[in-house]
Amino acid sequence: MKPSGKIRLKRFSVGQRIFHLLLMLSFLTQGATGLARMYIETDFGKGLASFFGGYERALAIHKYVGILMICGFLVHLLYLIVSIDWSQYKSSLFGPDSLIPTPGDAREFIHHICWFFGLIRAPRFDRWGYWEKFDYWAVFWGIPILGITGLILAYPLISTRVMPGWGLNIAFWIHRIEAILAMAHVFIIHFFIGHLRRTNFPMDRAMFEGSVDLDVASHEKPFWVARLAQTGKLEGMLVPESKPGRRILFYVFGYAAMMVGVFLLIGGLVNSPYITW
Amino acid sequence: MGTLVHGKRIHEPEAITVRMRVMRRGLKRSLWTLLALIMGLTAQPLIASAQEEAGSAMRRYREREFSTGYYEEYEAKPIRQRPLVGVPGVSEGLFPYSPTAAAVRIRTRLADSHQGIKFYENLSCDYCHMRETKDIHTVRANLTCRQCHGGEPIASINHYYSPLNPIRRHAYVCSKCHAGASASYASYVVHAPNPAMISTLQTFPLLFIVFWGMVAIAVGTFLVFLPHTIAWGIREISMRKEKTAK
Repeated sequence: MKPSGKIRLKRFSVGQRIFHLLLMLSFLTQGATGLARMYIETDFGKGLASFFGGYERALAIHKYVGILMICGFLVHLLYLIVSIDWSQYKSSLFGPDSLIPTPGDAREFIHHICWFFGLIRAPRFDRWGYWEKFDYWAVFWGIPILGITGLILAYPLISTRVMPGWGLNIAFWIHRIEAILAMAHVFIIHFFIGHLRRTNFPMDRAMFEGSVDLDVASHEKPFWVARLAQTGKLEGMLVPESKPGRRILFYVFGYAAMMVGVFLLIGGLVNSPYITW
Repeated sequence: MGTLVHGKRIHEPEAITVRMRVMRRGLKRSLWTLLALIMGLTAQPLIASAQEEAGSAMRRYREREFSTGYYEEYEAKPIRQRPLVGVPGVSEGLFPYSPTAAAVRIRTRLADSHQGIKFYENLSCDYCHMRETKDIHTVRANLTCRQCHGGEPIASINHYYSPLNPIRRHAYVCSKCHAGASASYASYVVHAPNPAMISTLQTFPLLFIVFWGMVAIAVGTFLVFLPHTIAWGIREISMRKEKTAK
């Protein structure tokens, strides 16, 4: 609503967006190569595997990309250590700009559900909604679990030096169930919230463009906008909408990722009775 | 006069014959020792796969084995048929087992695990061991039973000389494909029980607990977030326009 045409509010830095992009690409690769092997007895799995060069090659790619994801996670940990303001660590860790869950999130979650059923007015969120915090922590928990079990399974000769071989049976099932949970959560919940709910339809471009519509933000996250206005930071964080060409690129890329995800989800569900679990 | 032989004082010519007799006896004894040594050497165990050098881990077994690859085309009878030997706990034949005999003849310790099974030569493995054909080694790596369990007679896995005995399984079986397999590595449960089954709580408790723990986390997440997200979507459709605008 600024006359200068700056109608969007900056939300993600370039680094954060690059990391989300890398996470997207590696996650989809891991999902596709993992399902290729899991479903190799079906045409769905054979098709996926042939795209990656076969059953063995799919595993090789799965291992390399997995190691890449672990490296990305370690870099993210360094990023966290650097970006936390240790001189005021309490407000930095538990303040409204932090992704660490607080009791307020549980309250907002319940209020939000009450609003779904028309019991109360919509809760007003600060910078991070509880669903966004959950998404973040789901990845934060998922990568170590999948990474550690993945390393155990990828290097069984080394890992069985420090653990019994039957631990591989257990690591295998942890890896499999956690991967199914992660994929189902991203391909159903995350995609629905990001693409299909009315506020965001057809797509929330925040993670690609780096900014959100100021109208939407002041409606859904009024506390964040008010806080920025109070501290005088709001003016400096307003940016214009990106050019139509780039916007088309974001939409094409976002929808391509969503289609890959939905393809994996439906293929996985439909073919699940035909594999040896 | 005479000479002292074995503490006895005897005459010279007599002493020579006694000495020769002693020497001959010693020679005979050492010959037997040599023979025993040679016999012992021939009775050494076979060279284990872990003791040889090999470059390829994955394709190694198929490269090295002498076989047509058609394992189920022939079936051989177990060496000895013993009609009176039955399954422990199941009374068969004239004299059922005493607990001691059952402990000796228990099927996981027999030299021929299938001995005494009627019409054995007409059966294929999966006729009895159906579940054992539904694991990654069989389904994905296309291994046949004999590639690990060997030809007839198939020794029980706990029989002392069985290649699948846990004391040598890693060297004799696993390392055919997984070069460098250790005993710990070989404790991977190839024929793993179905982790969802309640019987697994007895046979592989940690697998059962971890499986259902992970399923509980996954199902719990969806029990919360699936209805939540659907309700959210529906609510936003019926959201009033003016509220969205400002």
